[in-house]
Amino acid sequence: MNKIPLVIQREYLTRVKKPSFWILTIVVPVLLAVVYAIPIILASRPLEHAHVLVVDDTGLFQDQFRSSRDITYHGAGSIDYARRQLQQHDSLDAIIYIPARETTLPRDAYLFYRSDTPSLTVQTDAQNQLQEILRNRILLDVHGLTPDDYALLTSTHIRLRAQDIETGRDGFLQVKIVVGALLALLVFIAVFMFGSQVMRGVMEEKTSRIVEIIVCSVKPFQLMMGKVVGIGLVGLTQFALWVLLAGALVTGVQLTHADLFEQASARHSKTEIATKGSEATYQYQTEQERAAQYQAGQGIDNSLQDLIEGLTGINFAMLILLFLFYFVFGYLLYASLFAAAGSLVDNETDSQQFTLPLTIPLLLTLLLLPSMVGQPSGSLSVWLSLIPFTSPVAMLLRIPFGVPFWQVLLSMLLLLATFPLCIWAAAKVYRSAILRYGQKASWREVWHFLRSNTEARPSAHSSASHTQ
Amino acid sequence: MLTIDNISKTYGSFRALDGINLHVGQGKVFGLLGPNGAGKTTLIRIINHIIAPDSGSILFSGHPMTAEDVAQIGYLPEERGLYKKMRVGEQAVYLARLKGLDKTTAEQRLHQWFGRLEIDSWWNRRVEELSKGMQQKVQFVVTVLHNPALLILDEPFSGFDPVNADLLKREILRLKEQGTTIIFSTHNMPSAEELCDDIALIHHARVMLCGPLADIKASHQGLPLDRIFINTVQN
Repeated sequence: MNKIPLVIQREYLTRVKKPSFWILTIVVPVLLAVVYAIPIILASRPLEHAHVLVVDDTGLFQDQFRSSRDITYHGAGSIDYARRQLQQHDSLDAIIYIPARETTLPRDAYLFYRSDTPSLTVQTDAQNQLQEILRNRILLDVHGLTPDDYALLTSTHIRLRAQDIETGRDGFLQVKIVVGALLALLVFIAVFMFGSQVMRGVMEEKTSRIVEIIVCSVKPFQLMMGKVVGIGLVGLTQFALWVLLAGALVTGVQLTHADLFEQASARHSKTEIATKGSEATYQYQTEQERAAQYQAGQGIDNSLQDLIEGLTGINFAMLILLFLFYFVFGYLLYASLFAAAGSLVDNETDSQQFTLPLTIPLLLTLLLLPSMVGQPSGSLSVWLSLIPFTSPVAMLLRIPFGVPFWQVLLSMLLLLATFPLCIWAAAKVYRSAILRYGQKASWREVWHFLRSNTEARPSAHSSASHTQ
Repeated sequence: MLTIDNISKTYGSFRALDGINLHVGQGKVFGLLGPNGAGKTTLIRIINHIIAPDSGSILFSGHPMTAEDVAQIGYLPEERGLYKKMRVGEQAVYLARLKGLDKTTAEQRLHQWFGRLEIDSWWNRRVEELSKGMQQKVQFVVTVLHNPALLILDEPFSGFDPVNADLLKREILRLKEQGTTIIFSTHNMPSAEELCDDIALIHHARVMLCGPLADIKASHQGLPLDRIFINTVQN
């Protein structure tokens, strides 16, 4: 009778029933989302309106401060007067004081406040306006430029948009880098997280000696594969729950912040028109839009919009499928090797000797990510995405940039051909080493296990420890 | 019941078993004795099909032993343990199902056994909360749960206090009365003397002494078993 399903069931259920599984699956992503959401929510919340007195002894800034939705600037004659006002009126928040200097332009301005430090919005706004007014003054007085000239200068902005000539879609290089790097990192973490769970599971069975009882009922290979598959299913469950959770979150954001997505899709459709029509019109429109957004104070970050726009252009179904493929087979490859490593040692400290060589290929790939991002189709990237020991991380990084079909296919086939070899080798080592207690294995012995058909001898000295 | 025919096993250059011949009679308690490293554990693992012999064969109930016959063995290894984080009942059911019992039968029999050994209240406790002796009781129950025809006990009394050791002894004898054949491997000569019908003394991979306990004692002028053991090993 095949007992693998029973082993898989135990491995799966004992892990899924643990509170730590649910904490990692649900609490962590929710926590992350909350951490990201808080600044956005706070930023979009209207601030308490601030009133600021401006005392300008230089005469350069007077009446130049522009009030906004959040802050009103009031001119005040002297610092003494303003000081009294601030002390007497609770509605006043701060004084901006620019003392006169005799020869050169002012270098310091002061923001006086009573008890509460003015908000960051007030400080930033004051700083920006001081800077801008002073610069305008110099341009105007020294170079004879008008504020309108200056406004034109500062609003001149040209964006380089990488576009596919056939589809006319934007390249969104940054978005691709982010998505690729996230996928690569996620598969790296997942393979090692679940791989080391396999190793710890094997070590648990070995150190607790329960393995001796279990191998009477199931073959060592079945036990090993049951564990590898069971823990792999835990990983897939976790991903499935994450995708569901992410879907729920995105839907939630879409429902509550519909404006973000509408703008993104509006820009998206405009891009298509622009490629057919005049670039200049498009450029003009977006500038108008941007100015309008700025005026309205919606404060939507342009890069955020780029991100959303870029994300909507990515084929997520394809990404998820490829991610699953590389996770499943990369995991099977590494987890079986981790199982073999676990069978060779009696405690976690000793395991480093065997896990370090296992981690090097993927770790190296991760370290090479920056240079691969620079040249996603360079020879380094291509080779790393073909070699089965590095392809799960390297290929997933490249996927968002677009990879020739034959390379994806070859990479997949190589991985499919290699993982059974790893399982076979791991099973040989595992079978020999799992019943050997108390001795730390050496690489020479591992080589011996791989070549031989015999099992390790039971260690004689371990029985002495139980002798009465 | 079990005939071991000329079994040999070497690990590299180390000869663990060298032409072992033994016969374990049906319904007997067979003592497998010998110093540390004599090859007892290797022999037991070969019987359990955990490892394969280099040469020789084993007959089980008169036919060459197959992997299916292993399901009729209950093996309590000397090096034994349980999953520490799992609950007692859950774990016992799992181990029983690995032995081929279905879930309902396993639960029924477990409750019977746990009730008799007065450990039913441990069902939902984690193994790590149990003392070593308590864990041994659970392990013993798991070993015998599928009503094995052949029971192999490797140092079953180690870790037991005298009260529980006595309880275990009575359970072993009860199983013997029900017709179970028992291989009992130990260093503890008084308990071997008390329980065994036949014994074999293995030393340096060979059988040094073999036969009914009474005959062996008679041929050694009625010396206690531990004296016979020491004399044989030292000669």
